[in-house]
Amino acid sequence: MRFALTLLHRNLIIARADARYTFIRTVLQPAIYLLVFGLVVGRLMPDEAGGYGAIVAPGIIAISVVSAPLIAISSYLLTGYYFRTMEEWLLAPVSLRTVFLAMVFAGLCSSLVNALLVGSLAWAILGLVPHSPVLLLAVVSGGGLLFSLLVMLVLLIPERPEKGQELFALLMMVMTFLGCTFYSLDMLDEPLRSLALLLPTTYVSEGLRAAYLPSGPHLATRPLLLGLGLATLALYPAAEWAFRRRLGNFTW
Amino acid sequence: MTAIAIEGLTLGYPNGRIAVRDLSLSISHGEIFGLLGLNGAGKSSLIKAIATLLQPHCGTIRVLGMDTRQQAPEIKRRIGVVPQENNLDTRLDIRQNLLFHCRYAGMPERLAVTRVEHWLQRLNLQGHTEESVFRLSGGTKRKIMLAKAFLTTPDLLILDEPSAGLDPGVRDVLWEQIRQFRRSGGAVFLSTHYLEEAEALCDRIGVLHQGSLAGVTRPADGLCLDSGQEVAQFFRQAVEPAPCVSP
Repeated sequence: MRFALTLLHRNLIIARADARYTFIRTVLQPAIYLLVFGLVVGRLMPDEAGGYGAIVAPGIIAISVVSAPLIAISSYLLTGYYFRTMEEWLLAPVSLRTVFLAMVFAGLCSSLVNALLVGSLAWAILGLVPHSPVLLLAVVSGGGLLFSLLVMLVLLIPERPEKGQELFALLMMVMTFLGCTFYSLDMLDEPLRSLALLLPTTYVSEGLRAAYLPSGPHLATRPLLLGLGLATLALYPAAEWAFRRRLGNFTW
Repeated sequence: MTAIAIEGLTLGYPNGRIAVRDLSLSISHGEIFGLLGLNGAGKSSLIKAIATLLQPHCGTIRVLGMDTRQQAPEIKRRIGVVPQENNLDTRLDIRQNLLFHCRYAGMPERLAVTRVEHWLQRLNLQGHTEESVFRLSGGTKRKIMLAKAFLTTPDLLILDEPSAGLDPGVRDVLWEQIRQFRRSGGAVFLSTHYLEEAEALCDRIGVLHQGSLAGVTRPADGLCLDSGQEVAQFFRQAVEPAPCVSP
């Protein structure tokens, strides 16, 4: 745990040093999304249950939650690869699994921080408050963990993590546009509905909709939490395998 | 007592290429062992394996009595490593690099600060502590790498070409630190390209050639291999191009 907190401390120092960039990425960008899609477009579609703003805002929080681990973990892997800092971390007196878990933990924490920031923006701009903070925390934690593992897997399968980053960016585009971030699952017809159910962003977005607006359209809470949990359980061994395969013998 | 015990070690890369072949070697506490070899001889792979970063294909490595496969975290707690290439965190400044190195090792904060200040002073780096390491010269980066290796007061130093890029003044400081470390009972495993460095520092010198140990010698024995051949001559022959044969 101490190693994980130290690695997190390092990220905080870097985020503070890059304060302007951090602000743009974590505050300004989602604020613009919330203003445009939540406020402006939301007023154009007032008939949706709770207004379109109430449907899209949890989706925008979801985008922020699932993209945060990419920033956090790819920062470790890219710096680790190009500047060999990974060797410094691997030489720390901890096991390979501890290094892996510390990086996943950093991804999860960045999701939680992003959810807090963008959730605050959603309250400030749209007046949205979560109806169920417990469900919100469960979905953000589950989504953050799931995407941290996914980032680790996708970035470490190719020989160079930058290739993985490109692949993940492509996956994110598909998951963002088809994974119920800008609309709810109820708004989709087949076959897009079935396709959306295969994408993890759907479960995070719908889970956040359930937490913010239980009376609005959303996937039932139990299957979505089950989906997030099962996907996380399935991804964990795959992500750890990719980490061990790439870094168990350090040849970078 | 043995600091490093290597038995029948074979190391390979994922592409199947063999880096080190059936190597056996033993290094005692209080000994400086130098490893000489041409580029690609397998020195860095061997060093990575001793530092637990590469897993043996065959054979065993015991460092400070512990198996590198089974007890990697315990080994890493007791070694100081300077790899061939600098692995500094380019997003942090000099002081932060050193402090975080101590923190990763789990050192108490107050002790870490004291040691970092000592080493900043020792290597004449006090004036640059807030500078990002990204902008530093190669020599200064190397100095920080050296400081990192000593910071955690290891029992074994593993140094891969530690003096590469250092000016003579800092190299002298490094040599003195290594000798002092040896006097305090520590063991040093050192790879170098410089014959004079090996001769000046080491108690024994091994010559690694194409992944195999070609021989072990002592500076006191006139740097002659078991075959009677001088180390310098061995390297001259190894790098000489094969003579052209006319048809």
